[in-house]
Amino acid sequence: MTLARHQKRGLIGAALLSLILIAIGVLAAWFGSRYQLRLVYGAYVNLLVVLGLQVFMGNARVTNLSHSAFMGIGAYAAAICVTPAATKAISLPDAPWGLAAFTLDPLTSAIIAIVITAAIAALVGLFIVRMTAIGATIASLAVLVIIHSIFLFRTDIFKGNQAFFGIPQVFSLTSIVVLSVVVVLIARGFRESHWGIQLRASADDETGAAAMGVNVVRLRLVAWVLSGIILALAGIAYAYYLGTISARPFYFNHVFLTLAMLILGGMRTVTGAVLGTFLISFGLEVVRWLETGPVVAGVDLPEALGLSGVVLGLVIVLTMTLRPQGVMGDREIEDIILRR
Amino acid sequence: MDYAIQQMVNALSFGAEYALLALGLAIVFSVMGLVNFAHGDVIAVGGYTMVAFAAIVTANPWIVILGAIVAAALTSVLLERVAFRPVRYADPTTGLLTAFGVSIVLQNLFLLFVSPRPIAVTSLYFMDVPIEMFGVQVSSLQLLESVTTVLVIVGLTLFLNRSVWGLAMRAASLDFEMVRLMGIRANRVFALAFLISGLLAGLACIFIMARRGSVDPHLGFNPVLKAFVACVVGGFGSLPGAVLGGFLLGAVEVGMLVLLPQEYGGMKDAFVFGIIALILVWRPNGILSPAVEKGDKL
Repeated sequence: MTLARHQKRGLIGAALLSLILIAIGVLAAWFGSRYQLRLVYGAYVNLLVVLGLQVFMGNARVTNLSHSAFMGIGAYAAAICVTPAATKAISLPDAPWGLAAFTLDPLTSAIIAIVITAAIAALVGLFIVRMTAIGATIASLAVLVIIHSIFLFRTDIFKGNQAFFGIPQVFSLTSIVVLSVVVVLIARGFRESHWGIQLRASADDETGAAAMGVNVVRLRLVAWVLSGIILALAGIAYAYYLGTISARPFYFNHVFLTLAMLILGGMRTVTGAVLGTFLISFGLEVVRWLETGPVVAGVDLPEALGLSGVVLGLVIVLTMTLRPQGVMGDREIEDIILRR
Repeated sequence: MDYAIQQMVNALSFGAEYALLALGLAIVFSVMGLVNFAHGDVIAVGGYTMVAFAAIVTANPWIVILGAIVAAALTSVLLERVAFRPVRYADPTTGLLTAFGVSIVLQNLFLLFVSPRPIAVTSLYFMDVPIEMFGVQVSSLQLLESVTTVLVIVGLTLFLNRSVWGLAMRAASLDFEMVRLMGIRANRVFALAFLISGLLAGLACIFIMARRGSVDPHLGFNPVLKAFVACVVGGFGSLPGAVLGGFLLGAVEVGMLVLLPQEYGGMKDAFVFGIIALILVWRPNGILSPAVEKGDKL
């Protein structure tokens, strides 16, 4: 297979990003305390989510608000498969269809979770991709609400807002760094593939692209399902590390957190997704510390619940006002380092 | 038979509320192409104004109501000035995300400066008394709501068709540059659209508060989600579409409440949105969507 020039550059860019991701992981593993390691792991999970979001939003340029729900589907599907039957007999005594009666190994569970999430994404995608941009966004919001209400309602399977516990901890920081490198390659590969280019062209000029023979609806569906698969990976990584999940983290707060990350970095590029994730992940820790009302330079600051939300909202508003394309705009990392 | 009529009255009053909310979104969208996520938070501002008025100024419900409507209208105009003016000519996605951000900021400001817990507002209880009409029990609130929505629709229709500014707003939704060339000030058209939207939010706020009796930071989320769905079904940007979508949503929702067995009550929204999704498969752009020539939008 021969690669076009922009594809070779894409490979260089993905390699550079991978180096940065590995470097952050290594630094965290050397210097971080146990608590900080958890934070860094969380940042990598969010990175997977943001990359999944970028694959659809960045290429088709249709805002998606349902991504956290798909992450939830992946997490729950994997959790239900991998949790030992003995634990499930206690935690899910009323589970239907014999869901509490079997135990699978982590890899099989992950594959099943990915297949289930992809199938649901494909089904939902059939509706979403045919709508115009605004309609698709509102519909994705409705999808988020539907899936969340199913999580809450079927307490016999998902335990709702209570903790679903007993998931074996199979992932470590190393595994998620490796996973994020793979996903960066996939996201960048899709962006530079002929599908990615056609989809981006259709986002610039839908009629023009369609006139050139681009099947816009089918390409959007491809991107949507690929995005769903990456989101499932994020959910699996989340469940396999924490060991406990509940419906709450897969709802609104997480949607706008990850959306702010993608918007700040710039949704059009994979580099933007990586940059935005780490900027907000680490920036938010500072804000959270301020939220608890610390003593800074002798001044006792008041407790300020909601400050992190205000900051996130302001990040979105200011980015949209001052630099709608995000920090990176249309530039990938190699465009800054290499000559054009 | 009585039961059927009862449920039809319920469907109409639900539909009236959704139509009222959806109109507030549609009027801004038709002029500016902005999906105003912050509409629900404008409603919440109205709710908190009620709390403040009832606690500080007077318990007289009419003054409290007036205060809420004025506060909602002012907030809406202020948001246009501060947040939405810079993205006025940007593409719809940019506007949508800006509004999303504004909504998050407002919600967290309530959290930060007021309270994360619900605050009770008791001065509107008098609006909700059961009355009997033609042998059917209805709540005065349902009646008030339906009448208000009808009045709003009539008023808006007259305004948009009979006044210069109404004409300017309708023209602005088709070709904004041309309206400016005719000597109409752009800023005023936008401010007017947001003013009307804010007034509608204030009206909706009264009914929502009278029904719930309390206000919390996320007060506006559920009503506005319904209004969004109503707009999408009716066709985003079409005012008749918003009304149609609102009443359709009300009918589907009451239908679900009647048909679904009790233990599936928690799944009501999932079923409602599922049915709405099926309508969108039939008409992906909504039922009454204005025709758009995609090739012209450059």
